[in-house]
Amino acid sequence: MNGKRNILMVIVLLLICSAISQGRIKLVALPERAATVIRLDNPQATLIEEERVLTLQKGLNKVDFSWKGVSIDADSIRLRALEHTDKVTLLSVSYPPNEAALVWDISSDSDYAETVRISYLLSNIDRLITYKAVADKAETFVDLKSYLVLRNFSGEDFDKARVLLDYGEAFEQGIDHEETKQMLFLKSPKVPITKVWKFDAALLPWDPEKLENQNVGIPVSYRIVNEAKSNLGEFALWGGKARLFQDDGHESTIFLGEDTTGLVPVGEKMELYIGDSRDIVVTQRQMQDTRVVTHKNNRGEAVLYDTDEQITAKIENFKDSPAMLTMIQHIPGQWDMENCNMKYEKKDANTLEFEIQLPARSQAGPAVKELKMTYHRRHLRPGAEPELQIIR
Amino acid sequence: MKRITIVLLILMAMTGVGRAKVDLVTLPSRDTVQLTIYNSADMTLVRESRALTLKDGENKLQFSWANTLIDPTSLEMLPKANADKIDIANLTFPPRVTNLGLWNIESSVSGKVPVEITYLTSGLSWRAFYMGTLTEDEKTMQLNGYVVVTNNSGEDYENAQTRLIVGKVHILDEIAELARRQYPYGRPGVVPMPQATPTAPMEDQRRARVVMEALAEMPSGAKEVIKEGLSEYFLYTIEGTETIPNGWSKRLLSFNVDQVPVINLYKYEEERYGPSVVRFLSFKNDKEHKLGETPIPGGMLKVYRGVGDQGHLSYTGQSSFKYIPVDEDVELNLGTVDNLVVEPKVMDFKTENYRFDRRDNVSGWDEIHTFKIEVRNTRDINVKVEIKRNFNTQYWDINNSGDFGAFEKVNLNTVKFTLDLQPRSVKKFEYVLRTYHGDREADWRP
Repeated sequence: MNGKRNILMVIVLLLICSAISQGRIKLVALPERAATVIRLDNPQATLIEEERVLTLQKGLNKVDFSWKGVSIDADSIRLRALEHTDKVTLLSVSYPPNEAALVWDISSDSDYAETVRISYLLSNIDRLITYKAVADKAETFVDLKSYLVLRNFSGEDFDKARVLLDYGEAFEQGIDHEETKQMLFLKSPKVPITKVWKFDAALLPWDPEKLENQNVGIPVSYRIVNEAKSNLGEFALWGGKARLFQDDGHESTIFLGEDTTGLVPVGEKMELYIGDSRDIVVTQRQMQDTRVVTHKNNRGEAVLYDTDEQITAKIENFKDSPAMLTMIQHIPGQWDMENCNMKYEKKDANTLEFEIQLPARSQAGPAVKELKMTYHRRHLRPGAEPELQIIR
Repeated sequence: MKRITIVLLILMAMTGVGRAKVDLVTLPSRDTVQLTIYNSADMTLVRESRALTLKDGENKLQFSWANTLIDPTSLEMLPKANADKIDIANLTFPPRVTNLGLWNIESSVSGKVPVEITYLTSGLSWRAFYMGTLTEDEKTMQLNGYVVVTNNSGEDYENAQTRLIVGKVHILDEIAELARRQYPYGRPGVVPMPQATPTAPMEDQRRARVVMEALAEMPSGAKEVIKEGLSEYFLYTIEGTETIPNGWSKRLLSFNVDQVPVINLYKYEEERYGPSVVRFLSFKNDKEHKLGETPIPGGMLKVYRGVGDQGHLSYTGQSSFKYIPVDEDVELNLGTVDNLVVEPKVMDFKTENYRFDRRDNVSGWDEIHTFKIEVRNTRDINVKVEIKRNFNTQYWDINNSGDFGAFEKVNLNTVKFTLDLQPRSVKKFEYVLRTYHGDREADWRP
């Protein structure tokens, strides 16, 4: 296979021409690329560091660095002498017109074969992270694997490079232009999970009976904590696509679902939405919404009122296993609770969160619980009622 | 058509020359294959086992899938023996080749190694449908559940263990879209084009044609379908193995239950169904109804009714229904009917309790409607009728009289009357509805 070599480096010996230089003269040795590092610790940009040996002559040297078919941020290019740091000085950098190139003016106090490190940001080469998790049949833990996917569409082939992430060991890997490589880089067996069912009254329909032939699925998620107790916690887990499977007890697996996760720093939770449960049914109804006028203007129009409201939500668990349902209710504006038959946590001024433990279905039928809350909204003005704002 | 091929390449290090020579060695065939087919998304998990002959050292295994709908990002290979001696170093998607992946395997054993290859593919699907046959008195129904499995994946899966998943999985990308990508993981800086909306009518036509073929082809033998719950899903495993060639569908009997007691339920709700009565067939997915072992996946039910003792049938109607959990009630909407009539009439109307503001304009009043509702069952079977009445306000009082059956407040402005009627009978009831308007709302007490 013919390798793609689109980054060129030329040492131009300064041939002292007359002041009128017609174009630039390119000449001499093409220093081979030596140790190359692909640094993928920043998800926004990939830094390439390469070492080359420059044959420098005493005096002023011009080194021409040019590229074609690749996209290099010219302002990101840096040059560092590694051996004679105080004898070799970079005097200036010039950008020739209409060319993907730059020219270094380097002064050297003697003749050296100097190793320099050139670093630059190269576009279209990056890495993705994907996760694959296999849950046990009881859904208590997952075997978590993470893959690194290197994608090189930069225009440049890398025969052998040290690939560095922001954590873990560097490893040697070659990758050609237009090549994608997927490799396992994290394996954490038995990571404990919590399964969460969530009904948000602002997002899901209230009365399934009113939907013709459609089930209301209650979103189900797995929660994983990035900590030592979970066999994790050594480093932040990068964001990526996660695919979840489950052991089916027949030496095989089923696919549970997939979700994307953002970056999960150490100590934080990863929540992966796998699918919807249709075996938990919530029927929410407004049973009362009465206006109580508290003030009228001198034309006899109501200008301020309170409300008496009642919400009921019947929760039925048709599953043959217990479940913990997180129910989220929203009450806009100023309000006070008169009566609520279940404990809740006020997440913010307008959001109530209930943790409802549902037993399994029994002989008698589904396990049923009913939330009933009676509350008053206060100081409402006709035509200027507060809108429900859901802040996530 | 066999479109998935596997080639094992053995890397033989040539002395002196730094470059390795690649040799093609074996073409391991598929030993077993298992399909787990989803119906909430166009997706199937394929698990196949093959025996690779590995050499000590570096091995390359080429996997190609041209003209299939495999998602390359889902490819995974796991050795089923000597797992500690076999390291799958990476999976490479080489440049300028499509539908091909290369596994680099480092092995410290040589010989046959069983491996398991899993991937997700698009193009296989299944759906459930049902046939119900009512007895002549419409008290019980024979219920047959079927599943139809269709293979449009481009690949023939021979003797595949076939499993179906009932449930709603969350997926981010269409498998078909992932399968069509030029580069499996896309390229940096380029957001993969969202899939063009599938040409639904075409698809439907194709499906319809395939289904007709399937109907013409009767299932050869009644295989058992084993059902079990997993996470939020149900797994149906079809006994034995199936061969469904590309383009074909197969219909299998999922269950057959005789004499499921049913209730003939009729509903009347003007705001929802208009002035006609809608017929429902109601039963429960529980033991009492000879069901209740597992949830029933949603699908279309065609209802027939036995006529006479010669086994003739009459077609009653059809209804699609949603997923029914165990112990949940089922209500099948069979459409509007004329042989059951619900007639509400306003028999009296008056207003009272006027309130006036400072300028002597009307600011509040009550409206009192007297409704008479007549329910006529012209059929010669027992029926149950549910009548819902919606009021435009939450400020109301009601006073029922006559044969109104069971009364329930559904929500703040809806009530429900439930009546049982004998064959060819009439029931009548009345209710007086007082609604509070304007300033009178303040006088209303729940």
